[in-house]
Amino acid sequence: MIEWGEQHLAIRDAFRRFVDAEIKPRREELEHGDTPPYEVLRKMFVTFGLRDMSLMRYEADLAKADKAADGSDEKVGKANPMAGEMAAMQMIPIIELSRHSPGMVTALGVSAGLTAGTIMSRGTRAQKERWAKDLLTLDTIGAWAITEPGSGSDAFGQMKASARRVEGGYVLNGNKTFITNGPWADTIVFICKLDEGNDPKDRKVLSFVLEKGMKGLDQTKPFRKMGMHSSPTGELFLSDVFVEKDRLLGETEEVSYRTGAKDTFKSERTGVVAMALGIVQQCLDLSVEYAKTRVQFGRPIGDFQLIQLKLAKMEVARMNIQNLVFRIIELAGAGKAMTLAEASACKLYCAQTATEVALEAVQLFGGNGYTAEYPVEQLARDAKVLQIYGGTDEIQISQIARSLLG
Amino acid sequence: MKILVALKRVADPANHNKVKIPAAGDKIDTAGLEWQINPFDLYALETALRLTEDGKAPKTRLGEVVAVTLGPAETETNLRSALATGADRAIRVDTTDDALDGRLVAAALQKLVEEEKPDLVLMGKQVVDGENNYVGQALAELLDWPMATFAATIKEEAGGLLVGREVDGGVSTLRVKFPAVVTVDLRIVAPDSVRSSKTAEGFKYPYEEVRFAPLPAIMQAKKKPLAVKKLADLVGGATLSSKYVKFEAPPARKAGVKVKDVQELVQKLATEAKAI
Ligand SMILES: Cc1cc2nc3c(=O)[nH]c(=O)nc-3n(C[C@H](O)[C@H](O)[C@H](O)COP(=O)(O)OP(=O)(O)OC[C@H]3O[C@@H](n4cnc5c(N)ncnc54)[C@H](O)[C@@H]3O)c2cc1C
Ligand SMILES: Cc1cc2nc3c(=O)[nH]c(=O)nc-3n(C[C@H](O)[C@H](O)[C@H](O)COP(=O)(O)OP(=O)(O)OC[C@H]3O[C@@H](n4cnc5c(N)ncnc54)[C@H](O)[C@@H]3O)c2cc1C
Repeated sequence: MIEWGEQHLAIRDAFRRFVDAEIKPRREELEHGDTPPYEVLRKMFVTFGLRDMSLMRYEADLAKADKAADGSDEKVGKANPMAGEMAAMQMIPIIELSRHSPGMVTALGVSAGLTAGTIMSRGTRAQKERWAKDLLTLDTIGAWAITEPGSGSDAFGQMKASARRVEGGYVLNGNKTFITNGPWADTIVFICKLDEGNDPKDRKVLSFVLEKGMKGLDQTKPFRKMGMHSSPTGELFLSDVFVEKDRLLGETEEVSYRTGAKDTFKSERTGVVAMALGIVQQCLDLSVEYAKTRVQFGRPIGDFQLIQLKLAKMEVARMNIQNLVFRIIELAGAGKAMTLAEASACKLYCAQTATEVALEAVQLFGGNGYTAEYPVEQLARDAKVLQIYGGTDEIQISQIARSLLG
Repeated sequence: MKILVALKRVADPANHNKVKIPAAGDKIDTAGLEWQINPFDLYALETALRLTEDGKAPKTRLGEVVAVTLGPAETETNLRSALATGADRAIRVDTTDDALDGRLVAAALQKLVEEEKPDLVLMGKQVVDGENNYVGQALAELLDWPMATFAATIKEEAGGLLVGREVDGGVSTLRVKFPAVVTVDLRIVAPDSVRSSKTAEGFKYPYEEVRFAPLPAIMQAKKKPLAVKKLADLVGGATLSSKYVKFEAPPARKAGVKVKDVQELVQKLATEAKAI
């Protein structure tokens, strides 16, 4: 893939129209009010047939899992142009939404991507039917909880959240923090360690599915944070939450959450690439327009070489990230996936670049760029978190280095 | 019901400040402009789709909508967008804007209508570039068909349509028998402006604009039939009967003046602006 095709551009234009009609007029309440993003996202899903597509993919994934179980699955690793198109159809909306509201993408990605994806890849058929289907259509909102006050980058090492076996099921305890959609989630994937009285570092990591309103589960109000205001982030407190065994993902203690966690990381990391492209593209477009129209010293500031350098660097960034997006689409079509190290490299570059570009856009806008009246201010605050969540820059670097050094 | 919808691409109205006129003033420089379907023609498309469905289950088609445009190969993008939105087939008449005037467009559409035999031709009341408000009326005349212009509401009846037109001070309603030509105004896309014979009592569309194309429909639009015809095959050797001779940009706005108090303002409004 070397450029967007006509159909991709048609999809892009359709999303632009939707953003203009549904998101821009609500920017104030979504970014600075208490309105959660879910109704707009649901409307988007219905309008573009994404809801129907999710249901179709859900059915196909169930069928595929059945085939894999009886060994008759042959498709794995084969080229499949349709999968490439599906990847493009997923990334274009992310790019367009991220131009205006990266927070909405975060909320959407965690719910329909991370939470539903975890249940689809680890759950039993009954669990998929019970929880994943409604998450995939956005009928319910999901959260995925691993981070704790004392364990972030070292998520498994310092994890305190626990499950204890009791008659008929388990009792869960622990505090989770920075949980996207936490305040509103209907369905929560809770990751914890099985306490068998053994050394914490040897404990098995398990995951359970919780639901809003369960006894002993507390979902806090959203935090005030630097950016991503349209993505509610909160804490979860569990005290002696009793769950039956059918809430243990996979209904077995034998598959540790640690195995297969890489796939989750990879899809999170490639999602950041599309978000970064949206942010960079928007900053570039706004900056070019401003450079042409803002006059100082009797000339448009675009006449000054120092401003030209900023624009040129933004354009280089846009090209690089767009090429990564094309690569992800090509890989999907070829039935291949990035290695974890490559996904880490992509995420590292895109997160850093989006933050740099957005801050340079603020700089180019001068005093205006520092005010909330101009959208580059929001994009700069939003971009920063790309360097923190989904694995910090430092953690990506260590993963790249580990793969280089062996 | 079979409906022919005529669509024209126009420069994106949001880009109007990018329109340039060369010094000679004999044409408009279209380089770098973005194109989209004339908004009123999109309303005509939405109207056609609403007339060929029951509203509740838009995937079940109750008729056929054929989208037509006259233009160069690039306009197939616009036709495919109409197909993605829901049109069943498309026809492009290969030509360029400067080879056309309203009369030729109407003559070409007349021939297409004679080939396609639709019950109804729908189009926008005018295009937002030329603002001629010409083709619909000319086509009805050439076909000798009944016509309703500036439609704000349409209700299908046995053998024809009941069309509401907003006029100064009220609404005039007229009944046209099929086959007919109808040009639409902006209010035609209000939630309950269009009722097909199958639209349920009290049904309202949940939007008041042109519907969005679902992503799978965008991907599949390429598979819907799109025929290309030559202008000469439709209108023979007919040539332009009117020609644009001069374009002028509106004069640049003059800077305002500052007044020191209300008295001076009132005085200037009275003596200079002659507004009071
Ligand atoms: C907006 C937002 C949404 C989030 N959503 C979710 C969610 O939905 N679910 C969820 O479970 N979590 C979520 N998180 C949590 C996120 O994954 C963590 O914040 C992230 O993993 C970093 O952990 P930490 O905040 O504890 O930082 P720490 O791990 O305490 O890191 C502090 C600093 O030390 C550095 N550091 C740590 N270890 C090393 C090392 N070995 N070498 C070098 N440097 C190191 C880090 O890079 C960082 O700069 C979210 C966070 C934010 C901000
Ligand atoms: C929080 C805040 C508080 C402020 N408080 C005050 C105050 O109390 N009183 C007051 O008078 N002002 C105040 N200001 C205004 C501040 O001094 C201006 O914002 C600043 O001087 C930049 O001017 P500008 O915003 O018009 O940007 P512009 O001058 O329009 O600059 C836009 C961009 O063009 C670049 N640029 C401009 N000229 C050139 C050139 N020749 N070569 C290369 N690049 C160029 C700039 O570096 C910038 O990147 C405040 C601003 C802020 C944000």
